Amino acid sequence: MIDNFHFSFHGICKHYRRKSILNDVSITIGNSDCYIITGENGAGKTTLMRILAGIEKPDSANIRINDGAALSWRSCRSRLSQSLMYLHQQPYMLAGSLRRNLEFTAKLNPAIIDRVAAVEQVLQWARLEALESQQAVSLSGGQQQRVALARARLRNPQILLLDEPTANLDIDGRDRTLIMLKAFLKSGTAVVIATHDPSIFTNLKGHGLHIEDQKLRDKSITPSRVLDISDYQKSRGI
Amino acid sequence: MDILIASTLDAFRLLFSGDTEIWEIIAISFRVSSLAILLAIPPALIIAFVLAYGNFFGRRFIISLFSTFLSIPAVVIGLTLFIVLSRQGPMGNMGLLFTQTAMIMGQFLLSLPILIAMAHTSFQASDRRAWETARTLGANRLYAFFTVVYEIRFGLMAAMLAAYGRIISEVGASMMLGGNIAHYTRNIPTAIALETSKGNFAEGIALGAVLLFLAFILNALLHHVQGKGSINP
Repeated sequence: MIDNFHFSFHGICKHYRRKSILNDVSITIGNSDCYIITGENGAGKTTLMRILAGIEKPDSANIRINDGAALSWRSCRSRLSQSLMYLHQQPYMLAGSLRRNLEFTAKLNPAIIDRVAAVEQVLQWARLEALESQQAVSLSGGQQQRVALARARLRNPQILLLDEPTANLDIDGRDRTLIMLKAFLKSGTAVVIATHDPSIFTNLKGHGLHIEDQKLRDKSITPSRVLDISDYQKSRGI
Repeated sequence: MDILIASTLDAFRLLFSGDTEIWEIIAISFRVSSLAILLAIPPALIIAFVLAYGNFFGRRFIISLFSTFLSIPAVVIGLTLFIVLSRQGPMGNMGLLFTQTAMIMGQFLLSLPILIAMAHTSFQASDRRAWETARTLGANRLYAFFTVVYEIRFGLMAAMLAAYGRIISEVGASMMLGGNIAHYTRNIPTAIALETSKGNFAEGIALGAVLLFLAFILNALLHHVQGKGSINP
């Protein structure tokens, strides 16, 4: 389980070539929070996620971690990189086998004592045992998404940021992704998802947010297709 | 034509009879060039990486500068270092002129622009998600750098082989900085120049054959390496 935490981001502003993308955006994320962020193409969903993850520098932003003093993004950057994990829309697979991808991640987490056992465990969790020796780049989009989530499991971040995690996935791939995201939420990890289709994630009972006119606003999510996870698990023998 | 055939036959006789002088020249060549390339690789990779991934004032100018250095003649490097290392030069008191160290310095400077330009192209073409993924998986900057290096290793190896090919066959800088001293600074290209001027074609051809063989090996390696990095291996 993840220890209690909360990250408060305030006044996030970002512009590209004189065009304002985000203007005074604020968001607070704590244990097991689930946010579903929607918005038009180019609205700034990915930019926001990358700023939160410490990858992209904002024009301005204040961050409070666990009721500490408000700090600038720059001074918090390494802490953000340690605590938040950003998953690309198309996950990048490192050269080598699927197992190498997981071992790479396990090696970087000092909390993992028995790396071999940890890798075996996530291979089972992500149902990737049969593919472990395959070249990671040769895996399908859905399988790569599972590898990315398996790496995240080994990394064990406080906040998991996913950029269109179900784009280009078939129904089976989507459902598997949702089950894995549920497991993250259950273990205390907060999940933030940027998507065009929030209805896919209704089962996560997330809080809907919408980026429009450079602002982040509340928005309810209406289900279009509700996934019954227990039925799915029974049908798949999970 | 007869002289070419006779000299070539003599050349191979010299090579395979284990002529100590010839093999000593070959050993000096490999030692000097290998040390030069090994010393040049770390700074070249770091500079290339910073130029590709960094965003700072003057970046484009520096890239253009290194591209210009690609076409700098070896004798110009030799001349510049000669002035620096000669008695009146700023490093004259170190007594490095006409030593293997001076040759290594010359070849280091010659290989640097090739390594930087080619490595920069590889870094520039690399997928930025590799760096971001490594960082987001918990790697520190150094570890993420090595991760990216590993991801583009085929392009970087091509850069190293190309640079090695250039420095082991250059004559201008080695001649000026090493002085072509027998058993000490005489390497393959300077020996070829000397033996040819003496009309001793057999030794020149023997050493030329070694360079040609090396060029073939480097090219074969390059194609092998590039083949490994292809989409359909």
